[in-house]
Amino acid sequence: MLDLSARSALNAASAEGDVAVRVVDASFAFGPDASKPVLVSIDFTLKRSEFVILTGPSGAGKTTLLTLIGTLRSVQGGSIVVLGTELKGLSPAGQREVRKKIGFIFQDHNLFDALTAFQTLRLAMELAPVRPSREEALERSHVLLTALGMGDYLHARPGELSTGQKQRVAIARALINDPPLILADEPTASLDHASSKRVIDLVRARIEGQKAAALMVTHDNRIFSAADRIVNMMDGRIESVRQESKRQI
Amino acid sequence: MQSPGLGIRLLALSSRRLAAAFAGMAVAVVVMFVELGLLLGILDSQALMANLVIGDLVVVDEARSNLHKWDTMDRVRISQIGGVAGVAASIPLYQVPMGLKNTDDEAIRRIVVLAFPATEVPLAIGDPREISAALSVPDNVLFDRLSRPIYAKIEPGQNIELDGAQNRVAGLVSIGPDIVNDGAIVMSEGTLLSRRPNVRPIMGIIRLSPGADLEDTRARIVENLPNDVRVYTPREIRWREIAFTLRSAPIGILFGIGMLAGLVIGSITCYQILFNEIVDRLEQYATLKAMGFSEMFLRRVILEQAILLSWGGFLVGLAASWLVYLYIAGETALLVRLNIVSVSTIFVLATLMSVVAGQLALRRVLNADPAELY
Ligand SMILES: Nc1ncnc2c1ncn2[C@@H]1O[C@H](COP(=O)(O)OP(=O)(O)OP(=O)(O)O)[C@@H](O)[C@H]1O
Ligand SMILES: [Mg+2]
Repeated sequence: MLDLSARSALNAASAEGDVAVRVVDASFAFGPDASKPVLVSIDFTLKRSEFVILTGPSGAGKTTLLTLIGTLRSVQGGSIVVLGTELKGLSPAGQREVRKKIGFIFQDHNLFDALTAFQTLRLAMELAPVRPSREEALERSHVLLTALGMGDYLHARPGELSTGQKQRVAIARALINDPPLILADEPTASLDHASSKRVIDLVRARIEGQKAAALMVTHDNRIFSAADRIVNMMDGRIESVRQESKRQI
Repeated sequence: MQSPGLGIRLLALSSRRLAAAFAGMAVAVVVMFVELGLLLGILDSQALMANLVIGDLVVVDEARSNLHKWDTMDRVRISQIGGVAGVAASIPLYQVPMGLKNTDDEAIRRIVVLAFPATEVPLAIGDPREISAALSVPDNVLFDRLSRPIYAKIEPGQNIELDGAQNRVAGLVSIGPDIVNDGAIVMSEGTLLSRRPNVRPIMGIIRLSPGADLEDTRARIVENLPNDVRVYTPREIRWREIAFTLRSAPIGILFGIGMLAGLVIGSITCYQILFNEIVDRLEQYATLKAMGFSEMFLRRVILEQAILLSWGGFLVGLAASWLVYLYIAGETALLVRLNIVSVSTIFVLATLMSVVAGQLALRRVLNADPAELY
C-alpha cells in the first residue's frame, strides 16, 4: 500500500514535471473594461522540451499571453503554472524567481550602450544559480556568441554593432543561463535568413537536449517547420493547433 | 550579487557628459563651501581673542556676554586673583579703540589697541621674548602685520600717531582682523595707563603654578572673589563666543540657508542628470526587471551613479573652492580656509544630496513596466 501510493505520487509529479507551462481558462482585459477582454478562456500547455510557435493576426493577443506567462503581467481569470509555480497571487520575490528561469527575447534588443557583449552576458550571469568565474563566463560567452555568428564581437559595444548583431547579443543574453523556458516575441524580425537559422538552430538544440521549452511568437513562416506545434490565435482565443511533422528548416 | 559597476560604466560612457555633470555638481559644492567658509570664518574671527590666549584660565566680567561687548572688569580683581593659592600669574588684558593717522592721506582710522604688562605676554602673537623686550621701552608699540591695508604702509622703526600721541613701531606681530576690527596695535600696560589712567581690563589671563589643579584653583578663585567675575578655560570661552555669535546674530540662520540653497541646487542638478540618464535607458532598466533583477539591484545601480556624481562634483568643487577661499581671504582678511570640519561637512552634505536625488530618480526606474517591452 505504502509502496503503491508513493509510486502514484511520483507519477503525478512526473506528469506535472513534464509540463513547462500550463494555462487553464485564462482571461485578461486591459483597464477596467472587462467586457472587452484581450484574452478569453485560454487553455494551453507547453511541455518541457517542446517548441511551440504562436501565430495569428495583429491584435490577436499573442504578446499579451506571452507577458502573462512571463510574469510581466498578472493573470485576471483562470490559472497559469510556469515551471511548477502558480503565478496567480505570486509575490514580487516569487515573480523574480520565475523570471530568472525564463530566457526573454524581446522585439527590441534593449542593450545598455555602456556594456560590451561580454559585460552584458556577465551581468545576466549574475542571476545564474551558481555564478561562474570570470574565465568560465568568458568561455561560455564566447561559445554562445560564436554559435550565433558573433564570436568576433565579444568586446564590442552596441554602438559598434548593426541592429541584427545587437539582437543576437540580446538573444545570447536570454540564453546564457540555460533557462528552462524561452519566451520570444518576433526574435528574428531584424535578422537575415542565415542569422535566423542560427537562432532557431540554437533554440532547437536546447529543445532536443531536453534543456528547455520554447514559446515563440512569429509571423516568419520559414521557421514554422522547426516547431513541434503551431498555435494560431485569433481575437483572444486559441483558434487551431497544428502538429508539425518535420523539424527542420 | 555584484554588478561590474554597471552604474559607473553607464555614467562614464561619455567623458564629455560626465565632465559637464561634475561641473554642474561642483557649482553646488562651491556654494556650500563658500557659505560654510564664511560662517566658520566669522565664528573664528569672533573667537580670535580666545584663540590667542596663552593661559590656563580666563576671568571676565560677569555681565560680559561676549568678547565683542565692551564690558570690562575691575582692575583690582586681577591683583586679587594673583593672591589665590595655585595662581602663578594673573595678567590683565586691555582692548581699547584708538585713532591711527594714515601717513599717506592724513585720515584717522579706528584701530584696536591691545595692552598687557611688558613682562608677561599672554597672547600667542609672536615671540614672547622679543615682544617683552620691545614693549619694555615706553611708547613703543607693535603693529599687526595682518591688518587690512587701510593704514598705509607701517614698518618697524617708523613713528605713528595714535590718538594724537607719537609712538615708535618697534616690531610686528600676527593677530589678524575680524568683522569689526580692521587692524591692531599692541602696547604695554604702562604705556596705555599713562594715556588712559582709568581704563579697565577686558579680561584677566591666569597661569597656574606648576602642579596646581585646574578645577581646584578655579573653585578657589570663585570662592575668594566677589560675584562680579566669571572664570573659564580658554576652550570654554572660545565655545562661549561661538555659541553667542550663533545665538545673537542671525548669521547661523543666514549661512545655514545659504548652505541649504547649495544643497538644493546640488540635489536638483544631481536629480536632473540622473533623471536624463534613466529616461534614456528606461527600456534597459525594465529589461533588467524582466530578467529577474531585484529592486535592490536597481537601487544600487542608481545610487552608484548618484554617488559617483556627487563625489566627482565634490572633488572638482573642492579644488574650485580652494581658489575661491584664497580670493575671499585676500579680499576680506577673514580666516576663510579649508579645514577638516568644512571639508568633511561638505562631503557629508554632497553625499546626502546624491542620496536624496538618487531616491527621487529611482522612483522612475521602479515604475518602469517590463510588460511594455514585448
Ligand atoms: N498596454 C495596453 N493597453 C491597452 N490595450 C493593449 C495594450 N497592449 C495591447 N493592447 C490591446 O490588446 C490586444 C492584443 O494585443 P497584443 O499586443 O497582445 O496583440 P499581438 O497578437 O501581440 O499583436 P501583434 O502581432 O501586432 O504584436 C490589442 O487589441 C491591443 O490593442
Ligand atoms: Mg505582439
